[in-house]
Amino acid sequence: MVINTIFNSFHLIGPEIAVALLLLAVVIFDLAFPKNKKFLPWLTITGIIVAGFLTVKQYSLESGFVFESGNTQGLIVIDNFAFFFKLLILGVSLLIILFSVSSEELKNCYDRAGEYYTLITGMILGMFFMVSTVDLITLYISIELVSFSSYVLAGFIKKSKRSSEAGLKYIIYGAVASGIMLFGISLVFGYTGTTNFYQINHIVVHSLSPDFLLSLAFILIFVGFGYKISAVPFHFWTPDVYEGAPTTITAYLSVASKAAGFALLIRFVKIIFFTGIDENGYWILSKAFNWSYLLIIISVLTMTVGNFAALWQNNVKRMLAYSSIAHAGYMLAALTMLSEQGLLAIVVYFVVYGLTNLGAFYIVLLIHNKTGSEEIDDYDGLGYQMPLMGVAMTILLVSLTGLPPTAGFIGKLYVFISILDAPHYTLAVIVALNSVVSLYYYVRIIKHLYLNNPKVEREFTFPVTQTILVLVLTIPVIILGLYFGPLLEMGKVSLRMFGF
Amino acid sequence: MIPVEYYLVLSAFMFTTGVIGVLIRRNAIVLFMSIELMLNSANLTFVTFASFLGDSAGQVFIFFVMTVAAAEAAVGLAIMIALFRNKQTLNADEVNVLKW
Amino acid sequence: MTLEIILFILFALIGAASGVLMITRKNPVMSALFLILNFAALAGVYLLLNAQFIAVVQIIVYAGAIMVLFLFVIMLLRPDAEISILRTNPLLKYVAIGVGVLVFAQLIYLIFFFKPLNITPSDVAERIQIGTVENIGTEIYTKYIIPVQVAGFLLLSATIGALVLAKKKFE
Repeated sequence: MVINTIFNSFHLIGPEIAVALLLLAVVIFDLAFPKNKKFLPWLTITGIIVAGFLTVKQYSLESGFVFESGNTQGLIVIDNFAFFFKLLILGVSLLIILFSVSSEELKNCYDRAGEYYTLITGMILGMFFMVSTVDLITLYISIELVSFSSYVLAGFIKKSKRSSEAGLKYIIYGAVASGIMLFGISLVFGYTGTTNFYQINHIVVHSLSPDFLLSLAFILIFVGFGYKISAVPFHFWTPDVYEGAPTTITAYLSVASKAAGFALLIRFVKIIFFTGIDENGYWILSKAFNWSYLLIIISVLTMTVGNFAALWQNNVKRMLAYSSIAHAGYMLAALTMLSEQGLLAIVVYFVVYGLTNLGAFYIVLLIHNKTGSEEIDDYDGLGYQMPLMGVAMTILLVSLTGLPPTAGFIGKLYVFISILDAPHYTLAVIVALNSVVSLYYYVRIIKHLYLNNPKVEREFTFPVTQTILVLVLTIPVIILGLYFGPLLEMGKVSLRMFGF
Repeated sequence: MIPVEYYLVLSAFMFTTGVIGVLIRRNAIVLFMSIELMLNSANLTFVTFASFLGDSAGQVFIFFVMTVAAAEAAVGLAIMIALFRNKQTLNADEVNVLKW
Repeated sequence: MTLEIILFILFALIGAASGVLMITRKNPVMSALFLILNFAALAGVYLLLNAQFIAVVQIIVYAGAIMVLFLFVIMLLRPDAEISILRTNPLLKYVAIGVGVLVFAQLIYLIFFFKPLNITPSDVAERIQIGTVENIGTEIYTKYIIPVQVAGFLLLSATIGALVLAKKKFE
């Protein structure tokens, strides 16, 4: 009868099966045609599109457990929340693979292209499970699948000391964080006697005061989440890894893996601690652990440290790394409100931030292809030498700052609305001040692009495909800034989580 | 029957030892060994609770932890070998092309 | 003092002592050997908890496979000259030990005020039952089939990753 349940649920994990088969297909094709690696990215893209198609087909399905049988609840769920993040992850992966095709950095490791795409597919698979898990076992194993693939990808360019070093630092920090998280998980298991989120919720709901053991256990688990979303004080790996890793992987880590981490954190907090909704639409969480307090402190620290550290950076990739830490802080600030409004802000922010950040990293990558440098001083006067890229970069940086008329403004606006709704004026002021600080370092790049005189006179031309890709990333940033109705609609639909 | 606390104290002690090891050691290989010690202390907690609660989820979890530990050792040591070929050191403090 | 208690104290002392020795040895080979001793002592503790299968796997996988890999890499890389932080920077040592004592005190406090919410203590027969190969196998291949598959992909990714990073031929 168990076998029957498994067979009957196959259509529920269609996208996961597609990604898993894609991973195997990439390995097999790489081994079968070792001489011809040109079509591997296209094979991966085909697979991702198929997985995307299967995901979209799931949209109409009822949300519920996968592999539920008798009295045992399933380990993963399908619902709109997971659906949204799965599509986001697939979209980001698709763009990253297109980026990889045009990366000069990766041309040097052409003979390892098969492994590169295999590991990216592995990350997609892990993130799919991360966004849909409702069980501590799947949580742990899927975080690890994502982590291991990204450790290797961060150290992928073996010839570069920077890259190997990034890999080593990443795996040391990652392994320590996951070890600490595992100890927390073991305490939660011992305390509640179950690994299922919903069953943990049943037990946690009844505690009326902060429970010391549970608090410690959840703080230990938060170390793992904090590491994945690079929240302060678990951010130490971020600048080094983002600087040392290949630019495509940096972009991927800063958007997709962060999105999966956030999805997991939100699901974890909401399902385990939810006891009801008050009249204003805020979640009433169990008193067993004060999430709101912890998250406010972490989010203020994260955005402040990220923004201030970014001020002193001269390497653009490192600066964007710190800026991505700051953006995680803004999203955490929206989460601290513990309301549907805050969740909506996070979902909207992620779409906007993903698009903008990917675009910015892509232009950094293209400039690196031509000049071989990521130092801000080498950007002098590039705005005139590559007019289109200069304008696109300016638009993207304005959007990262959060100024109108770009999409970044909409993201920030919704974060502010959710904070002011609460109302939580101190936090709103801190977010606003941080945005002002961030203006300084974003504008600094624009200044180097346009106001400084170029060191060498030269002209750059880009292939049509790369130009189109830049336009594909930049134009929506403006369009979404002016016409964001559909984005909101989609966001509102995506908030529905199984069990609510 | 030995009370559950005895096992938990042992596991807490091992976890602490692992954490201290991570903090004071700078040799990357010993650092990984300290991390293995942390994972093992979590394993001990899982087995203890699985036994005392009569719930096999705890014992099943250990298989996944072992999978992860094995993968961690393999990937971590491979990264170290790649780094060692570039630069003849394994001390985490000497690895400093990138600033900490 | 029953035999059970004596055995537990023996294993616990060996485990705790070898853990401490592991992190204080300067020579990584000695550290690795003490870690193996620690794993062996833990296997003994698992037997006391009636987790027979886990105890065996602990020896085979941890002590057998993982630690051999560690020793192999230590021998391969010969990093014999570790600048011990214990000697060069005494301040960090005290900070680390302070953190450690704090963590430990916290955990001990918790353990003795530990009141699980729904513990229904199991009897010995039940304990032996859940530790059998049969029971664990059934659980893994039915209820936990998804994590097992994910673990499979994790091992595949890790193998590919380790190969990519460690193989000698440069471009």
